[in-house]
Amino acid sequence: MNDSIPQAGPETVGNVRVPEPVFSCTDVNVHYGDKHAIKNVNIDIARQEVLAMIGPSGCGKSTFLRCLNRMNDTIPSARVTGRIALDGNDIHDKRQDVVQLRARVGMVFQKPNPFPKSIYENVAYGPRIHGLAADRAELDDIVGSSLRRAGLWDEVKDRLNQPGTSLSGGQQQRLCIARTIAVNPEVILMDEPCSALDPIATAKIEDLIDELRESYAICIVTHSMQQAARVSQRTAYFHLGDLVEVGETNKIFTNPRAKLTEDYITGRFG
Amino acid sequence: MNPSLVILLLLALVVVAFQVGKARSIEIVGGARGVRDLHSLPGHYGLLTAMWCGLPALAVFCIWMLAQDAIITHFALSSIPSAVAHLSPAERSLLLNDLHNIVNGRIDPATVAESTRIAAASYQSLRETAHLALAVLIAVIALLGLLYVRRRIRADLRARNSYEQVVEWALFACSGIAVLTTIGIVLSIVFEAVRFFQLIPITDFLFGLHWSPQMAIRADQVGSSGAFGAVPLFTGTLLISAIAMVVAAPIGLLSAIYLAEYADRRARSVIKPLLEVLAGVPTVVYGFFAALTVGPILRSVGETIGLNVASESALAAGLIMGVMIIPFVSSLADDMITAVPQSLRDGAYALGATRSETIKQVVLRAALPGIVGGLLLAVSRAIGETMIVVMAAGLAANLTANPFEAVTTVTVQIVTLLVGDQEFDSPKTLAAFALGLVLFLVTLVLNVIALYVVRKYREQYE
Amino acid sequence: MSNTSNGASAYQPPPADVTRAKVSAGLARRYRAEARFRALGLSATLLGILFVIFLFGSVIWRGYSIFGQHQVRLDVFFDPEVIDPSGTHSREALLAADYQALVRAALKSRFTEVEGRRQVRDLTALVSTGAAADVQDAVLADPSLIGQRRSMWVLTSSNVDWLLKGKVARSAPENERRISDEQLGWLDALIKDGRIEQRFNWTFFRHGDSRDPELAGVGGALAGSLLTLFVTLLLSFPVGVAAAIYLEEFARQNRITDLIEVNINNLAAVPSIVFGLLGLSMFIGFFGMPRSAPLVGGVVLTLLTLPTIIIASRAALKAVPPSIREAALGMGASRVQTVAHHVLPLAMPGMLTGAIIGMARALGESAPLLMIGMVAFIVDIPQGLTDPSTVLPVQVFLWSDSPERAFVERTSGAIIVLLLFLILMNATAVVLRNRFEKRW
Ligand SMILES: Nc1ncnc2c1ncn2[C@@H]1O[C@H](COP(=O)(O)OP(=O)(O)OP(=O)(O)O)[C@@H](O)[C@H]1O
Ligand SMILES: [Mg+2]
Repeated sequence: MNDSIPQAGPETVGNVRVPEPVFSCTDVNVHYGDKHAIKNVNIDIARQEVLAMIGPSGCGKSTFLRCLNRMNDTIPSARVTGRIALDGNDIHDKRQDVVQLRARVGMVFQKPNPFPKSIYENVAYGPRIHGLAADRAELDDIVGSSLRRAGLWDEVKDRLNQPGTSLSGGQQQRLCIARTIAVNPEVILMDEPCSALDPIATAKIEDLIDELRESYAICIVTHSMQQAARVSQRTAYFHLGDLVEVGETNKIFTNPRAKLTEDYITGRFG
Repeated sequence: MNPSLVILLLLALVVVAFQVGKARSIEIVGGARGVRDLHSLPGHYGLLTAMWCGLPALAVFCIWMLAQDAIITHFALSSIPSAVAHLSPAERSLLLNDLHNIVNGRIDPATVAESTRIAAASYQSLRETAHLALAVLIAVIALLGLLYVRRRIRADLRARNSYEQVVEWALFACSGIAVLTTIGIVLSIVFEAVRFFQLIPITDFLFGLHWSPQMAIRADQVGSSGAFGAVPLFTGTLLISAIAMVVAAPIGLLSAIYLAEYADRRARSVIKPLLEVLAGVPTVVYGFFAALTVGPILRSVGETIGLNVASESALAAGLIMGVMIIPFVSSLADDMITAVPQSLRDGAYALGATRSETIKQVVLRAALPGIVGGLLLAVSRAIGETMIVVMAAGLAANLTANPFEAVTTVTVQIVTLLVGDQEFDSPKTLAAFALGLVLFLVTLVLNVIALYVVRKYREQYE
Repeated sequence: MSNTSNGASAYQPPPADVTRAKVSAGLARRYRAEARFRALGLSATLLGILFVIFLFGSVIWRGYSIFGQHQVRLDVFFDPEVIDPSGTHSREALLAADYQALVRAALKSRFTEVEGRRQVRDLTALVSTGAAADVQDAVLADPSLIGQRRSMWVLTSSNVDWLLKGKVARSAPENERRISDEQLGWLDALIKDGRIEQRFNWTFFRHGDSRDPELAGVGGALAGSLLTLFVTLLLSFPVGVAAAIYLEEFARQNRITDLIEVNINNLAAVPSIVFGLLGLSMFIGFFGMPRSAPLVGGVVLTLLTLPTIIIASRAALKAVPPSIREAALGMGASRVQTVAHHVLPLAMPGMLTGAIIGMARALGESAPLLMIGMVAFIVDIPQGLTDPSTVLPVQVFLWSDSPERAFVERTSGAIIVLLLFLILMNATAVVLRNRFEKRW
């Protein structure tokens, strides 16, 4: 897999490794055709922890996130190299099935993207295709509990048969989260999940993230430093494809060690 | 002085008018250096003058040319009153035909009756006079227009604005032609169809089970009813269209899916144009292919498995019509599928759906309204398709749902009723217009619904 | 959903490895479904390609041989006794002479053993009835030939051509190959003399229709098509472009504009035969325009292609970026000037492409032309816009109906010519688009 010559970039500041990580990434590089979008990134993601990724626009946060459940496979020009291990197994290994990988690593997108189906069917979709429910009753249970954990149940319990697109933006995003947790994943990736939402909906989702942390590892991309500070335990700062600094969130925001990080969080940059 | 000369004359006058207008505007401000005082460029004054010179004259010319033939024919016939007094409409139209043929030098005058020759001579001399009169009239109108504008040219005349106003109106008129065409279609078809329904009750036509229009042209049966029940034609049309859709819908849809979602760029860039070739092939070619290749093949295949397939079976026509529609369905479906936003696909992939699950359960689901609209358009195409069925389906108006038998369709009957000699008054001819009316209305309804659905669908993802 | 509300609070997601096992259990089945679906799509696509190959293959296979035609070399004696016994060389006399007799004599001079009416008839049947006309043309062109002996290449009859092209086996029964054993013997003798050759089939491109297959050609239909398309292009391009300009650049969004737009989109989907009905009752019935004339055909096809051209032209106008209009308007140009000087030149390649595609469609159209009588048996090549004529696709239709089997070859040949024209037009459109298409 390591066919590209790793280009020398600045060493990442801070401790990239954690004990017993869910994900362990080594020398990850991503190219879009000629464009080198991620350069030699090394980072671990711990269990029951929220990792925030911040950085100026176009620095490769989404690209890196999409490596973790191989969503970049759907982009013909994208080429990912390096080792990304989930529970110690390389996700690019031939034995690793991409369908199963994505069942284990869920993803929530920037723009809510409910399917053109009913609310119920939206949440039931994952369990259905993966055969997680033995019967209709169990499926009902999964849908109900997922909607509950996504904090949407009370708002939609009387209209489960209405189309998912009939919900408000914030509700749609929580529906997408419910859809993701219905598959019972081990990691949830979130790419700016609140950027299209108002502060109240954002607060709800942040609460939700906080709760979900108890059962899942969560990786969240955000442009809001306050949000990163509120929800995450660790923070990674990306810059032009480089992972500049990783560290505990409160330390990064109060006492960044890399110059680039400092510039960014003090607002001199981006 | 023939009409094309008149037009040349008018053109010359228009050119003169342009120069006159231009020169006048320069003269009025005292030479080329004063041009800055003009409201518009000198050329605009020229154009305005040319327009006033040419357009009214052109309008008169068109009206004159449209009316001329009828009026002159009337006078020419009145020169032989005894010969035209007792003519039936058919004989009369024959006479007129001869008359025009002589006048245009297409047949030898020696071959027709004396009276027709006289009428033709009178027609010709009248036409000479008329053309001369037209030339004079056109010249006068053009000159009047020219002089009128020339007198009005002043430095503050907003020549450009007036000229552009006319241009805009002309552009508007061009886009109005589409509406005029529709009105023309409706009027011409409805007019004749109504005459048909005066002869044959509309209920007999719409609900009658027996169709044999040939019976009614026998002299003793003119106007007799009972043979104009169009139900067999409707069922025949539906049968063939249904077969066509059974072929075209799955193949078109699946190939669109394959090309949009599975094939790589290189394969797509080769295969897509290849399939689009099918859309460019004229329908006569399909008809020929259906009648000469597919029909016999089906027949012999049927024979070997003990089926009796008519040589002009609904199946052959329907199959080939389906092939014709494949690229239509496929390109519409392709549009609809690519209109589905990538974010929906990503959503499904991120849940661990396989490609086919994503396509079947998310992409197609999202594109459904658009695809249904596209299929409706395809149905409307199949119903209105003519050449394939004329060549490959039969004339026998069988009321059957058996695809191995020969059936006939609305379009086939329109063609057979109208090709060849025809009298405008016989129910046989008028029946074609009644069928045309049904065809037009049905396809119109389908198109309106389909276009509405497709537009709504597109707006949703814009 | 009462089930959910009661039981759900107790529901706990199973441990990760349980979920993982469930997902794995279904994988094989799901991938099989995936492969099936993919195969389905692939076979549909291949089926489509197969149709293209089959269609073109069958037409070409039936029709390629049309480009050659067998001719026979006759030594014709331009007998003054037959052509012009009075010796006046007047045109009337030359026109009235019995040239068939010369052809017969030429054949008989080679086969002196041929006797009796029947045999002579069979012998002359080897040669096309057009041979006499060729001899006549030669004499009319050069009356000094009279009294001389010349070698002339004339067409063989279609049955001979058919046999020599191998479309029917020599061993086939007489009635099937339509050439008797005796005729076959004569033919072989001619071949041995080197008097029979396959030559390029100019007849097919020069002649109008004919009852004799070997004399029938697409020349008349080709001329009719060109005349008709000429009218169509002349009318539909300016009007279509003007309409598109109005709708894109001038029209305000109101009821009338909406009406026009809906109208255009609907007209584009109206069956073509309906336009034929319009032409028949309006142009021929009401305005008294001549039947079978390219003029009327052209007008009908104009109405038919107008929506296509308008839609394509609008797309071309839409592709011109608004910044260019703003720049021109900002310099004080009027709307008309902006469009005429800046927008139109940029949109022109796109509009031309649309026009060519519209013309290609018009060239292949036949149903509406049947309605206005362009479906007659026309021998003469039309010279003007009101001469009775037919068009290529209608010629295909007419021939395809003919029981004579040699017409199958003609029909396919005509289709090949038609398709060549269409390919040429579409290729031009593609080249035009690729050359001038600008990405802004
Ligand atoms: N599909 C693609 N093809 C080519 N280049 C791409 C593609 N997607 C992203 N890029 C490039 O890769 C780089 C990183 O993009 P990415 O979307 O990961 O940035 P980001 O950090 O998520 O930015 P933002 O905060 O704006 O979402 C950018 O320079 C972008 O232009
Ligand atoms: Mg991003």
